[in-house]
Parts: sequence; C-alpha cells; structure tokens
Amino acid sequence: MISTRFVLKRLLLLVPVLVGVASLVFSILHLSPGDPALTIAGERASEEFVRQVEESLGLNDPIWVQYGRFLADAAQFQFGESFIIQRNTPVREVLASKLPVTLELALYGQLIGVSLGIPLGILSAVKQDSITDHLTRIGALTGISVPIFWSGPLLILLFAQMLGWLPTSGRISVLYNVEAIRVTGLVTIDTLLAGNMEMFVSAVRHMILPASVIGVYSMALISRMMRSSMLEVIRQDYMRTARAKGQGAKITVLKHGFRNAMIPVITVIGIQFGGLLGGAVLTETVFAIGGIGTLLVEAIKVGDYPIVQGTVLTFAFLFTLVNLGVDITYSILDPRIEQ
Amino acid sequence: MPAEPDHPTEERPPLVEQATVRLRIVGTAVLVGVLISTGALAGTVLAGAYATSVDTAFALGSLVFGFGLLGWSGAVALGRGIESMQNHLDTGTGWTEPDARRAMARILGFGLGVMLGTMGFGSVLVSA
Repeated sequence: MISTRFVLKRLLLLVPVLVGVASLVFSILHLSPGDPALTIAGERASEEFVRQVEESLGLNDPIWVQYGRFLADAAQFQFGESFIIQRNTPVREVLASKLPVTLELALYGQLIGVSLGIPLGILSAVKQDSITDHLTRIGALTGISVPIFWSGPLLILLFAQMLGWLPTSGRISVLYNVEAIRVTGLVTIDTLLAGNMEMFVSAVRHMILPASVIGVYSMALISRMMRSSMLEVIRQDYMRTARAKGQGAKITVLKHGFRNAMIPVITVIGIQFGGLLGGAVLTETVFAIGGIGTLLVEAIKVGDYPIVQGTVLTFAFLFTLVNLGVDITYSILDPRIEQ
Repeated sequence: MPAEPDHPTEERPPLVEQATVRLRIVGTAVLVGVLISTGALAGTVLAGAYATSVDTAFALGSLVFGFGLLGWSGAVALGRGIESMQNHLDTGTGWTEPDARRAMARILGFGLGVMLGTMGFGSVLVSA
C-alpha cells in the first residue's frame, strides 16, 4: 500500500520543477532578441500604439514585478493569447488542440518500446552469450545510435515509397473528418469510440511508422536495461533457491525475477518519457503531423512568446506527472523505497 | 572542498545540524550572488550605461536560479534512478545524487543572490 505522505512529498516536488522551468523560460525569452510589443503591434505600427501595447502587457513594470506576475500566471496555467500563430486565441485552447497529437505519438511509441524491449531484454539475459543475446544487443545498440531524422525518412522510403504498405504522412486519410467525432483528441481512440472501423484502420496505419521510429529508440534502451537488471537478479540467492526446490526455469524467471528486475527499468521508462516528447518534435516534423512539438518550433521561429511559455511548461508538467507515476509504481514494486 | 558524505538514514546527523549545513551551502551562494550583482551594477552606473543592465542582470540571475532549481529538483526526483541506470548500463561516471543536489543548491543560491542584489540595486536606482 502506498502512503499518502510519500505521494504528497512527490507532489510537492512538482512545485520547484515548475518554478525552475518557468524561471528558465522567463529569462530565456527576456534575454533573446526581439520586442514582444513590436511583434504584436506590427512593424508599421506607430510609436504610440507600441507604447500602448507595452503598457497593456505590463512590459513597463520593473522586471521583478513581471517575473512575479509571470510565475503567478504560470501557477494558474494562464499564458494569455497567441500573438501570431493563432492570433487572439487563448494559449490553453491552442495547446488543447495540439497536445493529444504528441501524447498519442509518445504513448504508442512507449507502448512499442515497452512491449518489445522487456521481452527482448529477458530473452537476452536468459540466453546470455548466445546468438539471440548477441543479436538483441546489436539491435539495441543500433536502435540507440540511429537518429530519428535518419531512421524516419528511411522507413518512409522503404515502407511507404518502395513497398507502398503504409502512408507517408498525416494522422488519418484526408477523406475523413476526425473533428466531427472528436472526444479525446487521440485519433485512434476517437475513431474506435465512433465505431467506424475504416477510419480506425486508417488512423492505425498512419500511426505505425511514426510510433515505430520513436518506439525503436525506446525499445533499445529498455531491452538493454532489462537484460542488465535481469542478469543481476538471476544471480541472486533466492533465484538459486527457487531453482533448487525444483521450480521450472521459466516460472522462476517470470515469478521471482521479473518483479525485481523491473525496478530500474521502470525508472528508465519514466526518464525516457521526456526523451520521447523531445523525439516527438523531430518525428512530427518528419511525418508532417502537427503536434505540440511542431507548434513549439513554429512559435520560437516567429516569436510567439505565450505559446512558447505554455508549451514548455506543459512539457515539464507532463514529464513530472509521468515521473510521479513512476515513483508510485516503483514503491509498489519495492515498498522499502518509500523509506 | 570534498563533498560531505551522504549518511544512511539511521546515521544521519540531527535535523538542526542538517538544516545548518544546507543553509550554509545556499546562504553563502546567495551572498556571493548579491555581492557580484551589486558590484557589477555599480560598475555599469559609473560607466553610465545602467538603463538595460538591471533587466539583463535580473534575467541572467533568474536563468541561473531556474537552472539550479530544476537541477536540484531533478536530482532529488530522479537522482537514485539515474545512479542505478548508470550502474546497469556500465556507464558509471561517478555522478551521485547527493553531490548533484549540493552543487545545484549552490547554483540556485547564486542565481537567487543575483536576483535579490539586482532587485535591491534597481529599487534604489528607481527611488533615487
């Protein structure tokens, strides 16, 4: 059973993480060249109008007042309205429309990584120094080393252009209108909820390549960790005792070894989620999927500061929440960790 | 200066002693930050170019503070996991959670000091 004190302590840790990220965002935007008031008002705006905009944004206040106001707004997830990308639209609305795209990609990527990485890692450990082990390790090393901007176009070339099995870009065929059936924003789930199998198949086919690209990287690291962790567990006395008592090898590994070997692997899965979100930026670009990563890049390019602030803080919030989940799972697997 | 040892739970010094050590780590860094920012800003006033220097100094201070705070909370939240990951992947670099926490505490303290020093100096300039 998880103690409330442990969860509360971990929840409290969210505060410094978010204050730290907010401070970084504030300072980077303040130090970067460009004048937000001029960006909003436009290059040809009169000086008086620019001053009015400055006043309305509070840019005339001392910087520490702006900093305090920024932190207070960030604490309430208030980032104002987009300057350029979707002019006069609240940042929260813009993020709400883009976030599910990235989340869907990261979730399926992680699903591929976990569902392939864990069994491969166990197999590699159980058959240590065999051909299977060597192949798995080479595969893992390749997966970690190959960058997304290279593997993405390569998969498109092979599976979309040459073999014609899968679509090259987008989230679903242009023939379908997913906005009409939007519930969660996750296309695969929404099409399933709508009971339209043709749309669902189209959404899944569009998801396979991008999710595989980030999933392979995730799988590589997880299988490497799983192998190493399982090898350590296999050598423990309690495993030897279970085998000596006549328990089968498979049962011993899965029943006694798996749970303990999973502890460091779970940590990696959590830490990696941040990497997946970062990787999603590249994957979204390669596969032309308009998610939060693409939005961030676009906002930085055009100087849409409220979008940049909102996106970065949302990333940080998601990352810390996932790690909270990891900590809780961690303490379920090994209650001593709560101490 | 060598890092202070990380004591197991049962051997940890009393809370007051722990708090004093932590306060000293952050406090000295804050002091250094205040002194450096005040000195630098005084220099810009003498040079007659202080108009944007207060804003820039504060933004730099908040950059360092944000980095330190994020690093500190990251070390607290993920430190043990990272240590364990390094061990399992045979990529041990000698990085430890307590060392990272202490280093980040100093960095965030310095950033906070710069921010406080800038605020104080800026307020004096505005009122003068």
